[in-house]
Amino acid sequence: MINENDPSTLTTSGRLLNYNEAIKSGLETGLKFTRLMDQLIKTTDPDELVSAATQLADFELDSDYVTFPHQYSNSDYYLLFMSRMLELHDQGKNVILQSRDHHEELTQELTPLGDRGTFNFRIETSENGGVFYRERATGQSLFYLNLERKMFRFNSHALTQLFIIDLHDTVPAETVKTSVQILFDFARYLKEDYGYSVDFNILDMANRQNYAVRSVDLPAGVVDRLFVTAAQNDYMLTNGVNGNGAEIALDKNVVVDIFNNQLEGQPEWVITVHDDAQQVSWFDVLLQYPFMRDWYLENLNDLEIQSDPLIFG
Amino acid sequence: MENQEQQASAADVLTQAIANKLDYLSTLQAAVQHGDDRKVYELLDQARYYQEVKKTRAARSVNHLSELVDNIHPQVSHYLSDNLIDYLGHIYPFFYYEEYTTGLFHIYFGNWWDRRLFGDLDVINVQFQFDEKEYQKLKDSFALESQNQRLNTAKIESVSAESEKLQQLVDAQAARDNDKAKLRDQLKENSQRSSLPWDSSKVKDERQGIIDQLTKLADEDEKALNAHKLIKENDDKILVLSKEDTILSYEKQSIRDSFDDFEHFEAHNASLYADYLNSLLGKSEGEVKADD
Repeated sequence: MINENDPSTLTTSGRLLNYNEAIKSGLETGLKFTRLMDQLIKTTDPDELVSAATQLADFELDSDYVTFPHQYSNSDYYLLFMSRMLELHDQGKNVILQSRDHHEELTQELTPLGDRGTFNFRIETSENGGVFYRERATGQSLFYLNLERKMFRFNSHALTQLFIIDLHDTVPAETVKTSVQILFDFARYLKEDYGYSVDFNILDMANRQNYAVRSVDLPAGVVDRLFVTAAQNDYMLTNGVNGNGAEIALDKNVVVDIFNNQLEGQPEWVITVHDDAQQVSWFDVLLQYPFMRDWYLENLNDLEIQSDPLIFG
Repeated sequence: MENQEQQASAADVLTQAIANKLDYLSTLQAAVQHGDDRKVYELLDQARYYQEVKKTRAARSVNHLSELVDNIHPQVSHYLSDNLIDYLGHIYPFFYYEEYTTGLFHIYFGNWWDRRLFGDLDVINVQFQFDEKEYQKLKDSFALESQNQRLNTAKIESVSAESEKLQQLVDAQAARDNDKAKLRDQLKENSQRSSLPWDSSKVKDERQGIIDQLTKLADEDEKALNAHKLIKENDDKILVLSKEDTILSYEKQSIRDSFDDFEHFEAHNASLYADYLNSLLGKSEGEVKADD
C-alpha cells in the first residue's frame, strides 16, 4: 500500500524501518502484558494486585503488526484477581479456577457450592464500564465491580433468584450461606483495604441498614399476610416501635421491622434486621425462616429489595 | 322583726348550703392534695361507694354535691387515670390505653399488628365501655371454640369453595373448547340434512338442543374469563377474614392467660369498681399504719 502523503512509504528501507518499529512496539506491549500477568499471578502485595488487575481489565494485547493467537479475555483477569485477592486473605481454597481444555477461558466455582454454580465475569460494554459477576447457567448477575471507579454493588434480585429460589430445593441453607459468604468477604476486602464504595444490599448485616422495598407505598395487605402467616408459625407480628409499621421478633433476639421510613410526604417502606451481634442480614432471615421466605417470594413484586438503580435499573 | 327573723333564717339556710358545698369541695381538694384517690372516688359517687364498697344497705340521702365537679370531669378523670391504669395494667396486661383527649381514653386490645380499638375506659366510673360489635365478636369466638371453629371458619370455607369452583371452570376450558367444536360439527351436519317434511320438527328440535348446549358453554367461558379477577378478590376476602381470626385468637389467648376463661373475665369486669376501691382502701389503711 503506497501512501503518497507519507514519504516513508516510498522507500523500501523506510517501510522496513516502520515495520520493525511497529513490531517492536507490539512486542513491548506483549512484554508489558506478561509483566502484568506475573504481577497478577505472583504478587503478595495487595496494592500491586489491584494495580495489575486494573491495568489488565482493559488491556489491548494485539496491535496491527503483532497479534497473539492464544489469549484469555479481559474478563478472565477479573477471575484471577478475585482468586488472588481471596488467597492473600487466606481464603484461596474457597474458589476453584478452571480452564477449558482447548481454548483459553477461565471459569470459577465456589468450593462449598461445587458444580451447582459456575461463575465468570461479563464485561459491561456501555460507557459505565466495569464487569458483572455472573452465574453462567442462569445468567444471574450477582454483583457489579468497577475497579477504576472503586465500586462494588450486590444485586438483590439475582441473589434471591439464584440462592433463595433456584438452589433452594437442592442445596442446604448452610451451604448457600458459606458460598455467599465468599462473595461477601471479597467485597469486604475491597472496602476495607482499598476504600471501595460497596453496597452489600441484602447481605448487609449492620443493624442500621435500611433495605428499601420496591413498592414505595406498600399495600396494607402485604403486611397483613405476614401477620397471618407469622401467627400460623407461632411468631407474633406486633406494632412497630415508632408506630408506623410492624415488627416481628424471631429467635435469638433477631428483630425484623417493616415500616414507612418517611414521616411525611412520599412514603418509603423499608425492612430492617436487628440482632445483638449485627451478624444477621435480610438474606440470612430468608434462608433461616421458611415462612419469611414464602412471604417475601409471594409478595416479591412489592417487596423486592432495591439494588443500585444506576447499575441494575 | 318577723321579716328580719325570716330573712335571718333564710340566710342561715343558704349559708349552710354554701358551707356544705365548700366543705365538699375542700374535702375533695384535700383528697387530691394527699393523693387519696379512694376518697376522691367516694366523694364522686357516695351512694355507689357505700353500696358496693361499704356494702351498707342504708340508702344515703342523695346530696347532689358531686354535680359540683361535673364540668371538670376531664381533669378529674385525667388525674385519677394514673393510678387506675397502673392497677389495670396488672390485671388486664393486654389492654393498652390512649388518652385521645384530656381525661378520655381509648382501649386497644393487645400490641399485635392491627390490634382492635376495643372501646373506652370510663375512669370516673371505673368501668370499661367496650365497643359492642367488637365485644360480641370476641364472645362469639369463645362460644365457637367448643365446636373447634373460629369466628370466620364457615365464611372462609364458603369463599374458598367458590374460588375452587371458579378454578375448575378455568381448568375445564380445553374440555369445553373440545365440546364446542363437536357441537358445531353436529350443527353443521344438522343444517345439511335433507329436511323431509315428516322429519323437519325432529331436526328442528335437535338443532335447538345443540344451540342450547352451545349457549351454556359460552356462558361458562365468560365466567371463566372473569375467574382470575374473582379469585383474586376472594383471596383478599379470605385475608381479611383470616386476619380477624388471628386477632381473635390472640385476644382469646390473652384472656385465658389472665382469667382462665371468658366468664371469669366478665365477672372481673363487673366487680371492677369495688375491687379497685378495695385495693385503694387496703393501701390507705397501710399508709395510716405506717404513719403511726
